[in-house]
Amino acid sequence: MQNIFARLGPDKLRQWLPLATLVILVAVVGVMQPVFLELSTLLQLASDTAVLFILATGVTFVIMLGGIDLSIQSMASLASVIVALTVARYGYGAFVLAVAVGALAGLLSGLAHVRLKVPSFIATLAMGGVLFSTALVSSKERSITLGDVDRNYQTWVTGTVFGVPNVIIIGLIVLAIAHTLQAHTRFGRYSAAIGAGEPAAYASGVKVDRQKVFAYVLSATFAALAGVILAGRLASGSPTLAAELLLPSIAAVVVGGTAITGGVGSIWRTLVGALIISVVRIGMTFLGVNIFAQNIVFGAVLIAAVAITIDRSKIPIVK
Amino acid sequence: MNGLPVASALSLVHVDKRFPGVHALKDVSIEVRRGEVIGLVGENGAGKSTLMKILSGVYQPDSGKIEIAGQPTRFENAADANRKGIGMVFQEQSLLTNLTVGENIYLGNEAQFTRYGIVNWKALYAAASRQLSKVQVDVDPRMRADDLDFAARQMVELAKALTLEEHASDHLVILLDEPTSVLERAEIDVLFARVRALKSRASFIFVSHRLDEVLELSDRIYVMKDGAVVADLVAADANITTLHHLMVGRSLQAEYYREPLQKAFREEIVLEVDELSLGNAYKNISFKLHAGEILGIAGVIGSGREELARTLAGFAPHSSGKLRVANREVHLVSPAEAVDIGIGYIPRERRVEGLVLFLPVAANITLADLENLTRHGLIDAREERRLATSWVDRLKIRTPSINTLCLNLSGGNQQKVVLAKWLNAKARILILDHPTRGLDVGAKEEVYELVRAVTTEGVAVILTSDTLEETIGLSHSLLVMRDGEITYRAEANPGHKPSQIDLIGHMV
Repeated sequence: MQNIFARLGPDKLRQWLPLATLVILVAVVGVMQPVFLELSTLLQLASDTAVLFILATGVTFVIMLGGIDLSIQSMASLASVIVALTVARYGYGAFVLAVAVGALAGLLSGLAHVRLKVPSFIATLAMGGVLFSTALVSSKERSITLGDVDRNYQTWVTGTVFGVPNVIIIGLIVLAIAHTLQAHTRFGRYSAAIGAGEPAAYASGVKVDRQKVFAYVLSATFAALAGVILAGRLASGSPTLAAELLLPSIAAVVVGGTAITGGVGSIWRTLVGALIISVVRIGMTFLGVNIFAQNIVFGAVLIAAVAITIDRSKIPIVK
Repeated sequence: MNGLPVASALSLVHVDKRFPGVHALKDVSIEVRRGEVIGLVGENGAGKSTLMKILSGVYQPDSGKIEIAGQPTRFENAADANRKGIGMVFQEQSLLTNLTVGENIYLGNEAQFTRYGIVNWKALYAAASRQLSKVQVDVDPRMRADDLDFAARQMVELAKALTLEEHASDHLVILLDEPTSVLERAEIDVLFARVRALKSRASFIFVSHRLDEVLELSDRIYVMKDGAVVADLVAADANITTLHHLMVGRSLQAEYYREPLQKAFREEIVLEVDELSLGNAYKNISFKLHAGEILGIAGVIGSGREELARTLAGFAPHSSGKLRVANREVHLVSPAEAVDIGIGYIPRERRVEGLVLFLPVAANITLADLENLTRHGLIDAREERRLATSWVDRLKIRTPSINTLCLNLSGGNQQKVVLAKWLNAKARILILDHPTRGLDVGAKEEVYELVRAVTTEGVAVILTSDTLEETIGLSHSLLVMRDGEITYRAEANPGHKPSQIDLIGHMV
């Protein structure tokens, strides 16, 4: 009984803390710069958040299982290079190719993890290196700017519908799909069970390896999609296009309240986390913080978020 | 009782302890005299653990005092209690398996062997040898702890507790918290003999769910109920019935194992093993299991019964012989395959393999059968709530709601959730691997009643238990295993159950 009483308060608080943080941040930045609360700024904010959110959503599936995917930024960059190199020849097929390469990379990371029993952070760190080098070699170490003809294929990313940027709509579609997968399918439930108690999930007949591989496939596929969208928005492909996005993506997942140890979390939380990161980023720009110094803040935020979301009474030992 | 020592070693005087919402200890006074073995019994939740945590310095009392040899004292923390002569032998074995025995014994106390930051291993191991000789166990202190069996590890823990003699100023008091839960009978005898031999050096407080062992080892017994001490008995004057009565407020009835509910099983054979073998673990095992039958397997650690149960649950594929389930030959390479053909496993490690503690009751109940809850790829949440609610009602699972994390349930209710999971998955065969381990008497009875109820509906059960009494009491049929082979088979019809002695002869 003492557990129930002692934990009810802090647990509820912990659950709503990210959303409260977001609201407060928006209010604070809004008061300092009223222009921030104008519709055009908010649409810009949402558009800027989309890529980060899609990357973070993919890695959420892996973190829910108790794993980590460190290859996502390299995957996204490689996807941008693939699009830039092949869109002239394949048209829309270039996007399919890039996302398919993502799925394949995720499959390989997942298999390395479950079949060869390589810890996920090593398997995906190594995969990230492979993908980064592939992007470097195939792009001949340069940034490839899309030509005018190529850009015609990018309107599904850069266009608007009734004034709403397409990229926001894509983000919402990703949200709907990912939320359904996570909250309403067996895969989502099994992921939570594996993250929270793998031996019990295994003993209950859950095909643990299959779920894990699927999560890595999702993570890399979403990363590739994020890279494709980034290529469209920046009208270029480059091996370093997404180079600064790994840290903010993982920070978004954790700031939203998904436990880095797995088992507890949701896509909604990742959305809130991604918005927090975006608002902080824009807030820093308003405050005149050097753009290259932003990862200092995100690093600090990540550590603070993990420290707050882990209930230390439940997890005595952290490695 | 003329020889009873009278000098007080450790006492608690009018100790009170509250947690939010719980009055865990109510005006508890106990006294441990020099050279005495005190038994401490009570159902889960009676306050035993809180009491032990106060005695070992983990908790501090809200009011009341602690006295050592009559002098008031205070334990700031566990290390402080250690320094003042309170040792602890844990239920969960606390040895670090990747360290040597000697390193374990002096873990955290290496300073005495250290000069300029360098440990003198020779001196440490020599000292460890002396400690081991106190408990008369023949173990090389340079062996790694994971090379020892559980019984030897328990002895090493005891030796470790005795190192406190070196710096504690006074008589030692050693807390033994469920030390026998992973030991077999012969090993328990050795442990008890050592404890008796050490009475000149230390007093002991022995906590156990096994009342027969408490009676056997203790000089005096304190019975706890609802946070208070309800009786202080001389062990020689007590028996299981009186203890049981004091603990639960009702007496142990003859139908403890619900024998009147033991119905004849059916003709239908649900599982058949023929000359089944697995490496060195077990060999040439043959038996038939019928619908509604409870087949109890008795045997000591190393008899192969544990591995056999794991094979049937899909964890350890057999290497030769035949396994037929519902007349189809199978070779189970994962629990998923076992679950698919209707086998459910109720593990001894309830909190690790039985439940996902951080998931709600409902999600745990449906975990093994989500396929049937899925419509067009999505989990039917309403149907899930309905199913979970109905299982909670039918098995009388005491939980605030179906959304409560299993973490917050008592052991007995957790075990009912595990059972509900397999009933929901329509398992036809249940492997019960020590199903009542760590449960109090009341919770055990509820588990027995549920097991009887499901077998009446035709579910077949393979049972490996902690106690022979439970194996015999519940089973229709009995197998005894020794060194990987079946040495004895017996029927166990109500009123004609074999005695424990009948089986023991075939076990060792």
